[in-house]
Amino acid sequence: MKDLWHYLTRNDKILILFLLVLSLSGILFPFNPFQGKTGEGTEMFLVIQKGNQEEIRFGLESTYGEPLYIEVEGPIGISIIEASNGKVRMKEAPPDDLEKTCVKTGWIENPGPMIICIPNQISIWIEAEETGLDGVSW
Amino acid sequence: MRNTRKVVLIGLLVSLGLILHFVEAMIPMPILVPGAKLGLANIVNLIALVLIGFRGGLTIFFLRVLIGSLYAGTFLSINFYLSLGGGLTGYLFMALVYYLFQDKFSLIGVSIIGAVFHNLGQLLIAYFIIKNPGIFYYLPYLTLLAIPTGIGVGLITYFTSRYLPVVEGGGAGDG
Repeated sequence: MKDLWHYLTRNDKILILFLLVLSLSGILFPFNPFQGKTGEGTEMFLVIQKGNQEEIRFGLESTYGEPLYIEVEGPIGISIIEASNGKVRMKEAPPDDLEKTCVKTGWIENPGPMIICIPNQISIWIEAEETGLDGVSW
Repeated sequence: MRNTRKVVLIGLLVSLGLILHFVEAMIPMPILVPGAKLGLANIVNLIALVLIGFRGGLTIFFLRVLIGSLYAGTFLSINFYLSLGGGLTGYLFMALVYYLFQDKFSLIGVSIIGAVFHNLGQLLIAYFIIKNPGIFYYLPYLTLLAIPTGIGVGLITYFTSRYLPVVEGGGAGDG
């Protein structure tokens, strides 16, 4: 690491520092157009989009107990999505999706991260919506 | 004779780039962030830029993506456009920094710029395909990872290119 410092110019170091600050602030204050407040009085919704068309939207509460499997057909085949116990993942991607990035992404359970299958043009995410009920009234 | 040297070097670098691309695909890597990569093939882009110049490097890049996609059977597929878009954006910005600010940034800085703009270009293309702005959630994670991978690629290029002669009439300034 001492050697590495020697190879960097002043501007390299400024660039690295700049990127570090920019990236970390982007992670701490994430860009999420669908973000809602999580916690009391909100309900989690699973949204599945194909291209720019919203295909499916339902409350994740219904996924406790029995896991739910959803098949969505895209340009290169059928993607199988599994929703279970409030979490969601891409269970199976079409064989023509060589990299299977969406399957490797694994489970998501909070608003923010997104499961994306670019070859099949499918994106899956979780939205939090206020239901108007607060925790006390239960 | 000089031209022969250049053609041979372009051929060698294209094959080296293809090998690096396949080697990278074989390395088992945890998916920290979807779409994140080591970017080993960028070593070849940067070496080509330093040794042969802008046009030579661009030729090598196009040949590598074309042949690579024909091998993998992804020619004109979405993966092909993602590689092309990301790689081209990364290469153009590396060339820009390399030629305009050579005295200010080392090859490490140039390679970090390349990694960042590769990510940006690829995310933009992905955005046009899936039309979902939520994809940019991953941008800060990708730019964060671009720092260590960019440093790695920059160091490898620096040490490799030191032992290789610059092609005469094709080095810096040929743009």
